[in-house]
Amino acid sequence: MNLDLSRRDVLKIAGYGSLAAFIAACGGNTNTTTSGITAKGGSMSLGSYNTDPGNKKGTQALVDAFSSANGGTKVKINTVDHGTFQNQISSYLQGTPEDAFTWFSGHRMRFFASKGLATPIDDVWDAVKSNYTEGFAASVKGDDGHVYAVPTDYYPWAVFYRKDVFAAHGYTVPTNWDAFKALCVQMKKDGLIPIAMADKDGWPAQGTFDIINLRLNGYDFHTELLTGKQPWTDPRVTAVYKKWSEITQYYSPALSGLTWQQGADQLLRKQAGMYLLGLFVSDEFKASGSPADLDQLDFFPFPDLGTQYDAEKALDAPIDVYMLTKKSPTLSADLGQAKAFMEFVSKGSTQVLYWQNAPGSIPTASDADKSQYPALTAKAVQIVSSAKRITQYFDRDSRPDFSGPNGMQGFLLKFLANPSQDTTSLQGEMKAFWDSLPPE
Amino acid sequence: MTQNYQFLPSTMPAIFPGVAGNAGKPKRRRIRPARVALHMFLGAMVALWLFPLFWAIYSSLRPYSDTVLHGSISWPSGGLSFINYQTVWTQADIPYYYVNTLVIVIPGVILTLLLASMVAFCCTQFSWKFNLIVLMLFTAGNLLPPQVIIRPLYWVYLNTPIANLGSIDVSKFSFALFSDNNLLYDQYIGIILIHVVFQTGFATFVLSNYMKTITKEITESALVDGANVLRIWWSVILPLCRPALAAMATLLFTFMYNDFFWALVLLKSGDKRPITSALNNLQGEFFVNNNLVAAGALLACIPPILIFILLQKHFVAGLTLGSTKG
Repeated sequence: MNLDLSRRDVLKIAGYGSLAAFIAACGGNTNTTTSGITAKGGSMSLGSYNTDPGNKKGTQALVDAFSSANGGTKVKINTVDHGTFQNQISSYLQGTPEDAFTWFSGHRMRFFASKGLATPIDDVWDAVKSNYTEGFAASVKGDDGHVYAVPTDYYPWAVFYRKDVFAAHGYTVPTNWDAFKALCVQMKKDGLIPIAMADKDGWPAQGTFDIINLRLNGYDFHTELLTGKQPWTDPRVTAVYKKWSEITQYYSPALSGLTWQQGADQLLRKQAGMYLLGLFVSDEFKASGSPADLDQLDFFPFPDLGTQYDAEKALDAPIDVYMLTKKSPTLSADLGQAKAFMEFVSKGSTQVLYWQNAPGSIPTASDADKSQYPALTAKAVQIVSSAKRITQYFDRDSRPDFSGPNGMQGFLLKFLANPSQDTTSLQGEMKAFWDSLPPE
Repeated sequence: MTQNYQFLPSTMPAIFPGVAGNAGKPKRRRIRPARVALHMFLGAMVALWLFPLFWAIYSSLRPYSDTVLHGSISWPSGGLSFINYQTVWTQADIPYYYVNTLVIVIPGVILTLLLASMVAFCCTQFSWKFNLIVLMLFTAGNLLPPQVIIRPLYWVYLNTPIANLGSIDVSKFSFALFSDNNLLYDQYIGIILIHVVFQTGFATFVLSNYMKTITKEITESALVDGANVLRIWWSVILPLCRPALAAMATLLFTFMYNDFFWALVLLKSGDKRPITSALNNLQGEFFVNNNLVAAGALLACIPPILIFILLQKHFVAGLTLGSTKG
C-alpha cells in the first residue's frame, strides 16, 4: 500500500474531516421554523462594542429577552471594547464577522454599506418603519437608497450647566449669542471658568465646530462640507472660526491637556459654568457617587446666532444602530434569526429594557414608554424631536481619516492654540489634507 | 583625584573600608561633594523612574468618586481601599484572561525553544556551507518590524484552513483543537504560531552562540557511539544547554506575555484575548475609570514580576548569553 501523502493530500484530508465535523455540528439545529422573512429557534451571533458595565448588562438583557421571545434562539455574543471595535471595523467586516453587529449611523454606516460589507434589510424596515420618525428613517439609508440599519438609541449634544450654580448667581439661560457672551463675561467676573473645554483627545472641539457651522451656514452646507462637496477654504468656514474665536477666551486654561472627564469634573466641582458636550457627561456625574450633583445637571440648546438657519434648530444627536454583516460565515443559515433580531431591537419595549441598564442611550422607537424618563432624558427627547435637522457628529458624518488626529482633530487643536489667527492658511491646510486623501 | 588611589597602607582603609586589619576600628568615610552630587542624582533618577509606578498604585487604591470630587492630584478624603481590585477581578474577568495568556505563552515558549535549538544545533555542530547564511537569515528575520507584514499576514490567516477536531472544555473555557472556525484567524493557535515565528530568530541567535562553546568532539564521539542526529540533539546537546534554555525561557515568557499587538490584530473574539489586550475591556465608549484601569494594569504586571523574582539569575545570564564567542 502506498501511503506517500503529499502536503496537499494532508491538507485535503484535514479540510474534508473538518468539513464533515462542521456539517455534523450544524445538524443539531433542526428546530428552525421559518415564517416570511424571520425565523424562530436556531442560532445567530452578535458582535457588540458595548463594554461599559451598564451597556454590557443591557445587551445581555436584550439578547435574553429576544431568545425567549423567539423560540429559544441561541445568540452568541462577541463583546469587544469600543475603541478596538472601531479601529478594527474594516478588517472585522472583511474577515469572519458575526451575523449582526452594533454600529453608528451616518457616513460610517453608508461607507461600509457602499463597500458591500453590510446586508440590506429593506424587508425588515418595511415591517417596522411606522415606529420611527422621518429623521431616524433618513439616518439608516445607504447611498444606494437601501436600508442597512435599525436605529436603537441616541443622545444629544447641548450646553450643560448646574442648576444650583445658575440659581446662586442669578444667571438665566441665554437664547442668543449676545446673551451667551454676556453670561460668559459675568461668569468670569464671578471667578468661574465660563465654558469648560477639554480637547486632549481631539474630538470634543468638533462638537463646537458642528454647532456653530450649523447655526451660521445651515445643515446643507455643513453636510456638504464634511463630505468634501464644499471646499474648506470657503469664506463661510472662515466665518465659523471668526465666530468661534469670540468665545475661546472663556475656555478652560490648558484645554489641550484635559480629557473630557476632567472637563466634566470642572463643571461638577463648580469651577466651570457651562460645558458643551454629549449627554454622556452625566456618566461622570454618576461616577462621583453623589446623586445630589446629578440632580443639579441640566442643559440648554446652543444659542441662536441670528441667521436664517436658527429655525432649523439643528444639533448633533448621534444615533447608534444594529446592522447585518455580509461576510459572516453563518449568515446564510441564520438570516431568518438575524432579521428577527433586527425586528426585535426596533421595538420600543426592547429599547426601554436596554435603556434601563444604560440610561445614556435614549430609545428611538416612537412606541417606547416615555413615562419612566427622568427629567434630563425627557428634556433630551424634547429638544431632539423639536429639531428639524439632526447631524451625527463630525467624526460620524465625515471620513474617519479626515476627522482623525492627523486631520481635523489636529487642525482644531492648532486653531484653539491661537484662535485670533488669520485662519486662511489653516483652512488651506484642511483643504490640502482633504485633497490628499485617497478615494474611499 | 589620583592621589586618593596611591596604594599606601595608610590610605587603604579610606578607600576600602572593609579591608582586613581595620575590622575592629570605627569606619570613617570621607564625604566628598562629587559623591554627594552623584547620590543626589541617582536618588532623583530613582524617584523619577518610580514615580509613575507609585502613582499607578496610589490611583488604583482610590475609589473613582474620590478622584472625581477632588481631582487626581489630591489627598484621599475617603480613605484607600482595594475596591478597584475587587471590581476589576470580577468585572473584567481577570482570572479568565490569565488562563488565556498561559494557553498562548506556554506552548509558544516550548515550541520556540525546540525549533530554535534544532536550528542552532545543526548550524553549530555540523559543517555545512550554508551554516552562516542560515544563521544570518534567522538573525535578519529578528530585525523585521512586525507591523509591516500585518496586512498580508491578515489575509494569510483568513485563507489558511486548519482542522477542527473538537475542543477541550473546562468549565467556561473552550479550547478548540485546533480551530473552531476552520481558519488560522481568530484562534489561539494562530497567535502561538506567530509568536513562535517571531521569537525563533532571536532564540536561534542566542542558542547558536551558546552551542558554539560546546566542542564538536562531544557530538563526534556520540556519532561514533552510534547515536543518530536527533538523539544527539535531545540527549547530548540539550542537557548541556540547560542554562541557556532556562534563560531563554524566562526571556521568551516575558516577551510573549507582554504582547498586545498580535492578539489585537489576529483575534476577533473578545473572549480569546490574553490579559494585556483584555485590559481594554475596562474602557467604555466615552467613560473611563482610570483608577480601575490602574488596578487592572498592576494585576497584569504581577506574573512577569513573579517570574523575574523567581528566575532573576537566569535573566542576568540571558543578558550576557552568547556575548563572547567560544
